[in-house]
This record gives sequence, C-alpha cells and structure tokens, in this order.
Amino acid sequence: MTTSVLTAARAGLVSCGTCGLLAASASRAAPGHCPRCGAPLAARRRGSVETTWALVIAAAICYIPANLLPVLGTTTLGSTEYDTIMGGVVFLFTSGSWPLALIVLVASVMVPLGKLLALAYLLITVQRGSIASNRERTRLYHLVVFIGRWSMLDVFVDTFTVALVQLSPLMSVQPGAGVVFFAAVVVLTMIAAESFDPRLIWDADTETEPDVA
Amino acid sequence: MTGAGHAETLACPDCDLLQVVPELPLGAKASCARCGRTLATRTADPIERPLALSIAALLVLILANTAPLMGLSVVGQQASTTIVGGAWQMWVQGQELTAVVVAFCAVFAPAAYLLCTLAVLLAARRPPAPRWVGELLRWAEAMQPWSMVEVMMLGILVALIKIAELATVEPDIGMYAVGVLMLLIPAIQSSFDPEAIWKRVTWADDGSPPADGAVQTDGTLNLRSVP
Amino acid sequence: MPIPKRSLTLPDPIDRETLPRATLTPPRRRISAIWLIPLIAAAVAIGIAVNRVMNQGPTITIVFSSAEGVEAGKTFIKYKDVKIGQVTAVELYQEYSKVIVTARIDKHAAGLMVEDANFWVVEPRVTLSGVSGLSTLLAGNYIGFEQGHAQRAGRRFVGLEVPPAVTIDQPGRRFQLKADDMGSLGVGSPLYFRRLQVGQVTAYALADDGKSVSIRVFVNAPYDRFVGTDTRFWNASGVDVSLGAGGLDLRTQSLVSLLIGGIAFESPGFAATSEPAAADSAFPLYGDRTTAMKQPDTIARSYVLYFSESLRGLSVGAPLTLLGLPAGEVTQVGVDLDPVKLAVRGRVEVVAYPERIVARLQTHQSAAGQAIVQSEQATHELFKRLVEERGLRAQLRSGNLLTGQLFVSLDFFPDAGKPDVDWTQALPAIPTVPSTVPDLEAKVTAILAKIDALPFKAIGADLKKVIESLDKTLKDVNKAVNRIDTGLTPELVSTVADLRRALDSADRLIKSTDATLLGEDAPGQIQLRDALEEIAGAARAVRGLSDYLERQPASLIRGKTEKTP
Repeated sequence: MTTSVLTAARAGLVSCGTCGLLAASASRAAPGHCPRCGAPLAARRRGSVETTWALVIAAAICYIPANLLPVLGTTTLGSTEYDTIMGGVVFLFTSGSWPLALIVLVASVMVPLGKLLALAYLLITVQRGSIASNRERTRLYHLVVFIGRWSMLDVFVDTFTVALVQLSPLMSVQPGAGVVFFAAVVVLTMIAAESFDPRLIWDADTETEPDVA
Repeated sequence: MTGAGHAETLACPDCDLLQVVPELPLGAKASCARCGRTLATRTADPIERPLALSIAALLVLILANTAPLMGLSVVGQQASTTIVGGAWQMWVQGQELTAVVVAFCAVFAPAAYLLCTLAVLLAARRPPAPRWVGELLRWAEAMQPWSMVEVMMLGILVALIKIAELATVEPDIGMYAVGVLMLLIPAIQSSFDPEAIWKRVTWADDGSPPADGAVQTDGTLNLRSVP
Repeated sequence: MPIPKRSLTLPDPIDRETLPRATLTPPRRRISAIWLIPLIAAAVAIGIAVNRVMNQGPTITIVFSSAEGVEAGKTFIKYKDVKIGQVTAVELYQEYSKVIVTARIDKHAAGLMVEDANFWVVEPRVTLSGVSGLSTLLAGNYIGFEQGHAQRAGRRFVGLEVPPAVTIDQPGRRFQLKADDMGSLGVGSPLYFRRLQVGQVTAYALADDGKSVSIRVFVNAPYDRFVGTDTRFWNASGVDVSLGAGGLDLRTQSLVSLLIGGIAFESPGFAATSEPAAADSAFPLYGDRTTAMKQPDTIARSYVLYFSESLRGLSVGAPLTLLGLPAGEVTQVGVDLDPVKLAVRGRVEVVAYPERIVARLQTHQSAAGQAIVQSEQATHELFKRLVEERGLRAQLRSGNLLTGQLFVSLDFFPDAGKPDVDWTQALPAIPTVPSTVPDLEAKVTAILAKIDALPFKAIGADLKKVIESLDKTLKDVNKAVNRIDTGLTPELVSTVADLRRALDSADRLIKSTDATLLGEDAPGQIQLRDALEEIAGAARAVRGLSDYLERQPASLIRGKTEKTP
C-alpha cells in the first residue's frame, strides 16, 4: 500500500494551506507563493514538531499553578475565602449540584489534561515514525482541535460571576491568581493544536523524505 | 467542485493524498479516500444564504454586547452586566491578561469573523472579486476557532445557576441575543463554501481571471507557483 | 461517502452530440426565504433600540458637598420608595469642592422634575425625631426625592445636605418663633399641645443683628387650627419644678423633651378674641409657662419720684405697689443734682400698669375700670385727683428685712399736705413721703430698753415655782399614763392618720412621676419602646443573614449544603 499512494509532497506539488489550490512548488526548499491567493506555500507546517512540543510543555507548566492556585475568592461581610478549581468541583458535588460539578470537572480539569496527553502522544508517535492506527490518530487530532475551546468554560464562569456579584458589604467576588494560568493553558493548547501538522502522521506511511517535514 | 462540470485535483490537507474530486451534486460531500476527512461540500445557495445569516448575526452581536445579560437582586441591592462589562470587571480586579483573552474570544473574534465573512460575501456576489477578498477570507478562517460564543453561553448559564441559589436572577435581552448568536454562527459555517468564493477571486500573481485550477483534468500542470 | 480512487487519466469522453437535449428552466431571480432571518433580527434590534430611546427620561444633575455611598450605575433615586431614576456618573466639581451627580430619570417620573424639587442622600441617621434609613445599611444608600410645586421644569439641582424635616406635602402650618437663645432645642425638637406631640422644629437661624434666634416650627394638621393669634409658645425643655402649698409639683412634657428639649403652646384664657393664626406668623418664645401665660400689660404710665433718703436696696425691677397690690415696677434708680440750690436727692423712675389694678376689680366695677383705663385722659385725671384730693403718695418700704431690699409703695396719706405737682410734664413727679425704715432702729432700741427694764429676778423666782409645780404634775401624768394606756389610742390614731396622709402625698408624688416618666403608656416609654423595637428588628434581620452566611461562607458560589438555612 505504501508505494502506490501518491502524496503531493512526493509528486513535487504543494497544497495551499489557505485556499486549497494544488500548485507545483517552485523548489523543494522554497516552494514560493500560491498563485491564487498569494499566501506563502509550505509542504508541511514549518517546524511543526518543535513548535508543538514547546507549546505543550509551556501549557503543562501552566497547568500546575492553574490547579493549585485559587481561581475565585468570595468575600462575605468582610471575610474572604478562596477556592481552587478542584475545590469548587468538590464543593459543588457535596452540596448537591452534581450536574454542575460534572460539567466543571470535565471542562476545566479533564479536557486540558486530555489535550496535553493527546498532543504529547501524537508528537511521540510521529517522531518515532509509527505507522499504526493512522486514522485513529487523525481522529484524535480532530477531537483535540474541536474540544479545545470548551476548556475556556471556567474562565467565562469566573468572569461573569465576578462581574455580577459586587454587592459589598454583603457579598463580593474577586478572581484569584489561578485564572490567568488557566486561560494560558487553554490558549497555548489551542495554538499547539493549530501548529501540529496532521500530515506528519501519514508521512511515515508514505516514505516521504525526512527534510520535508 | 461547485462550478458546473469540473472535477478538481486536490491533496488532502490531513494526509496529503493526491486525489480527484468530481463535480458534486447539491448537498453532497466529498471525503478523502485514505483518512476520511471532508474535502469539499456543495451547499445550496453558497452566497445568499450565509450573507443573510451574517447580517442577522452582526445585528444580534451588537445587541448581545450592548444589552445587559442578566439582572441580579438580593436584599435590595441590584446588579447587572454586559459581556464587555464582564471583561472590564476582570481588568479592574487585576486580571488584565484574562480580561484580554475573554474580550478576544467573546467579542473580538466573533465580530472579526462576521465582518470578514460579510465583506467577502458582498464582494463575491459579482465575480471577479478583488484580491483583498482572499485576504479577508483568510482572516475569517483564522478567527473562526477563536470565536467561542457557545462556550460563553454555557459559562453564563453555569454562573446564572450558581448565583440563582442565593439571589433572584433574571435573564435579560443580552442573554437571549447570545443564545440566538450561538445558533446563527454554526448555521453560517455550514452554509458557507470557501471554494465557491475562491473560484470567483482574481488570482493573486498576475490578476488573471479565476480559472479552474492549476492541475488540469488531463493530467497536465497548467501553472507554476510563484517564487 | 468516499468516492473511489481514480488515476489521473480520465475515461473516454462521451460523444455529447448524440444525446438529446434536456429542457432547461432558467433560474428565476427570486429572493430566498433565508432573508427573513436577518429581517427579523433587524426588526427586533430596532424595536429594542427604539423602545430604549423612547423610555429614556431626562438627564439631571445634582450638586452635593459630598456624595457618600453614591455610585455610578448603582445608586437609585427613589420617591415614596419607588425607583424613579438611577445615577449614571459621579464627578468632582467646582475645583474639587463639590460633587456633581448625573442621573437618568425614568420617563414616567419626568413630570416630577420641577425647579424646586429637592434631593438628598438617604443614609442611616439617628436624629432627635427618631432613627431613619436603616434599610440602607444593607441595600446601600439611595437618593431621596421630594416633590416641588413649581411649574417650570428643572434639570440642574442643588442637593440638600440633610433630609428635610418635614416634607412639602405634609398637611399643617409653619410658624416663626423668636427667642433669646436656643436653649436645648434643635432641629426635630418636638412641639407639644396639651402634652401631645403635634409638630417639630424644622429650622433655626440667628437673627441678622445677632440679638435673637429665629426658630421655624411646623404644626401638623389638624392641630394647626389650635394655634390662634393669641397663642403663647414657651420652651418646655427639662423639668418644671415648683414647691408650693400643695406640695412638690413636677411638670414635664415627655421623656423626649426632658432629654432633647421641646416647645409647648397654649392659648391663654384671658384673650378676648382669637382667630387661627395665618401660616408663617411670628410669635415670641417665652422661657417658661408662667412667663408665657402672663397677661401682657399694654397700658403703661411712667412717673418720676424724688427721695431724700437712702436708695440702697432699691433695684431696677423692684415692684411698685398700690395698697400692697402689684401695680408696676421701678425702671430706673438714679441721682438728681441741682447745682443752683446745691441739693442732691435720689431720683427713681417707675412705670405703672393700671390694667393690673383693674384686673382685680369686682365684676360689676371692672367695666367702669376698663373704660377709665382705656382712655389715657381719664386715667390721668383720676390719678391727679387721687394725688391731690386723697393724698396718694409714694413711699419706700422694706421688702425683705434680711437682704435690705426696698420697693416703692403707693399709699394714701390723708395728712399729707397739698402737693405741688406739674402735671403737664411728660414724667410727672409724684410727691413722696419719707419711709418708715429709719424708724425701725429707734423702735428696736426702745424694745431693747424695755426688755432691759424687765424684773428678771422676780420672773426667775416665779419660774422656779412654776417648774416645781410642773414637775409634780408631770409625775402625776406619768402615773396616769401608766394606768390609762388605752386612753392614748385616739391620739395614736390621729398621729398615725397624719403619718398616713404624709405617706399618701408622697405616694401621689411617686405616681405622678410614674405617669409622666415611667408609666406603661407614658409617651416617653412608647417612643423609647418603638425605637428599640425598630433597632431590634433590624438587628434580628442582620443577625439572621450573617448567621446563614457564616455557616455557608461561600455558599453563594458553591451552592448550599441543605435547602433550609
């Protein structure tokens, strides 16, 4: 199967990332610009593996303070109490609102972790040149891209709770230091997913020259 | 693909496989032979429908950002906020970066996406469309993953439920507008066909009128890419 | 649905010429139904925008010296506890000396914005008239509003620094009182009529010449009709104590007036006619009830007296009596020097109030007396005749032996000679008669001489005899007492009765004190109780909320542990 499959890279053609036009690359090293839309052409996203690794590691570093630092502080009649994400989930669960607890747990804790693990797995398998389960890995990649934005849920919940509950001296809410780290995790993983080139998954299968990747 | 009687040769963006995509009947979808990713769709009314929806979505977006989202009242105190007000409150409380991210994902990205899409559709109604249309289309596609209106909607609802346990909360016009926007944007995305637009855009390199593609159906390459 | 793979070479083209032509329906230029959506969206958006614009009322500005607790976008303006507007901006003004508050008024309340409408900040306040604004402790301050009566609309206002004591639309009447000083009065001090609170002090100001204080009071309807042109106002602060023949008399209006002062009013009975006083009429404020209820002396006649004796002990204000009854007072005590004759004598000016004498006439004579007194000519004639024909003279008399105070007495001395009075002068000089005060010394000397001459020795011897016999009598009485102790019971009874009477009067005194100060429904009690209840209720509410929030510190964010607090 590997030899009869023709990819654009092997044929010396480049698919424009913007408009999808298939054009001949001017040269291997510098493919040139797309004749239709003028965007710079590249056979594969530049430095995909390095960039994605850097972003994944950065996001993983931010993930720790995002979960350890409190994200929300509630001030009632003068006394302030701070809550982390997990603390909030546990409290929601024990106080009976388990659907909310589940939503927050999935969106804020499991999804970012899952994204990090999935991206790491994809990068490792690409770097090892694995040829197994290509379609599943591609599907995993699409899942990561699709689900990524939903981790931003907790940031929005925080924002609107803070914006509404400003009724001192009775009760007021402030954002905690963990929120910015959490937002950073979401943003970094989204950019990481965009910078990863899924064609790399299939390249091991088609014996493409390494210097194209 | 949308042009009558033309097949096009493409490389799959996911697995880079070269394949021919034939002319599609209305509403049909072409998927990659190897990895199954959707290569092309043919939507009915690729210009009019997304145009109408974009205009509606822009109006609703304005409403969603100017009208208050919900009102809260407890022991005589009252409060209400808009989307921008939420980002502003985060800024004021010292979380500037988070405020910027929230404003970008909730207001700027959807607005940019809608405006670009609208401009592209308006310009593409009469081909050939000028070159900048391509640029705007690129921007619209870049903004699309960052437009998180539905995530924001869920976030607002979760916040509402949490606050409603202790205070009287009343959803206001802003929230309904966000809900409508949440439905309109996917509708625009499903009825929008970028290929139809690209077909009408003048080519970037030499300003020649739109052609069928670089690789002709007889297997010869028509044009070379510009260095 | 994946399309099967094809190579780059296409199959043979079909010969198109042999196929029949299909009929073609040219596409009609039709507006697709999809355009309904943006139309609906546009309609809704425009509808909402128009609705907003139409419902927007006017924007007003209010200038305060400080706007405590007023926040842009949060603080409301309320009238009769209904929101009529909201503050949109709070800024410094006039070189940072004042605060200007911009507010948007609701459309339905736009008609209230007239030139003389009043605004003030409502915050918790403890004043003389009670506790107010407690609800703002939790809900935040708001701006109160009072309607004006002007016709012209206004948009720029100056806010009041304190809430108006009485709102404009409260029925009743305002009056002005003039007093020497404020005493313990203040804004909110109560006004009493027959011990009922019927009004309050609303404002006060020092008179321009600094010699008196002008106090504005407000009497609520329907009591304002009891204020007549003859009504007397007096300062009823504190306690009025008087010790008289009936015992201790304790008079106070209420516990509140005891603490913070108050004004009482009453119409004295001696006025002939009185109509309800017009609004804003002025009255003097007297120091106490007695002074207030005193009948005024409208008719006064001044005279001058010359004395050749010591005027020591005669002070301004000393009474002028006629037959011992008060008829006037001394207005000036001085000296008269005649350099030609080299004569120095005392000169006293007095003022006589004939009405005081007339008031003591019997009913059948008082009409005639009134007639004489009303006419200055008649009074003058009468007086002249009394002096010249009946020997009416002025004499210095001793008022108090201990302090040596003197007063001037008008009396009849039939033996006095014909006087030489010039009645045409403005201050006629009444002839005087030397006082009998110097005689006192001679009298005392005479008495002492008499005492000296008493035969003390003889009296002493007689006294001894009397004492001896008394002693014997006492011994007999003792024996008698030991025998007849039952005979003493009636005396004991009467003693006990006396004692009981004394106790009763003491009891009555305590009861009256009770009624005014400590009784169940004493006005002071009720007010205190009401105030305490209000505070207790507010404290209860705050406690309940804080209790709940304490137990569930972040329950608002995290949810409740149980449904019932």
